[in-house]
Amino acid sequence: MVEKILFIVFAAFAVAGALGVITRSNIVHGLILLVFTFINVAGIFLLTQAHFLAVIQVLVYAGAILVLFAFVVMFLNLREFQQEEQFHRGQKWAVIVLAPIMLAEIIFVVTAVTWASVNDGFSPEAIAAQGGNVKVLGEQLFTKMLLPFEVASLILLVGMVGAILLAAKEDRESVCLREWDDDDGVTPSLVEREV
Amino acid sequence: MAIPIEWYLVLSAFLFVIGAAGVLMRRNLFIVLFSIELMMNAVNINLVGFSRLHENLIGQNFVLFTMTVAAAEAAIGLAIVTALYRNRRTLMVDMFDVMKG
Repeated sequence: MVEKILFIVFAAFAVAGALGVITRSNIVHGLILLVFTFINVAGIFLLTQAHFLAVIQVLVYAGAILVLFAFVVMFLNLREFQQEEQFHRGQKWAVIVLAPIMLAEIIFVVTAVTWASVNDGFSPEAIAAQGGNVKVLGEQLFTKMLLPFEVASLILLVGMVGAILLAAKEDRESVCLREWDDDDGVTPSLVEREV
Repeated sequence: MAIPIEWYLVLSAFLFVIGAAGVLMRRNLFIVLFSIELMMNAVNINLVGFSRLHENLIGQNFVLFTMTVAAAEAAIGLAIVTALYRNRRTLMVDMFDVMKG
């Protein structure tokens, strides 16, 4: 019973935070609301006895990915975009009409189907008897899911190289360097120079 | 089983539809990226819920890979954002119409 009440609380906060993300015009507010949503989703994971995933959710999503977003948000000067129109003009009304219909359809299908349990023997009690969620999850990750694990490392490598390649300055055409202005002697000026 | 699977699916549907609405109606590229992360979280909730229903751990393992892909996607997405901002001086998605899509 307590679990159900907590689930409803976490779910309500997560949905409210998500609604805030897509309606606020200030990106930093959206970012903080996104962290709020992710932490509530981590609470849902805890209620589901997925302890390791709850920790990873906070660590990777609310930690690493959001810090990356925050870094780029502060790196670019985004204050000028707050005054602009935030929504697509015609598309906004189509989305406002169609999104609840899509939601109602999904909820109708989900509640109409009866979901049978396969029951593979990894109930929370059985997992606790075998040494806990982290141990059993890790054992499966390095036996059953070893090939996907290696492919994931490849994806991370490609992501890293791609990010560096895309964000690096194209210094073949033009390079921005700091040069001393000879006329007044002290003021440094940014000069765009062909190389 | 304490919490019915339908609750997970309904919560996930809410988050996914909100994410999809954000992608479709916001002009700011950052909010579009945030919305994609929201949709990935909705999928994760589904995977964890079904992992609990079927009492196996493959679903939870799969969430780890979803998070890996989300991290790589965020890094590349932000690199594209900085490249676009450097070239076009704007972040409104309807301004990027070079390919006339």
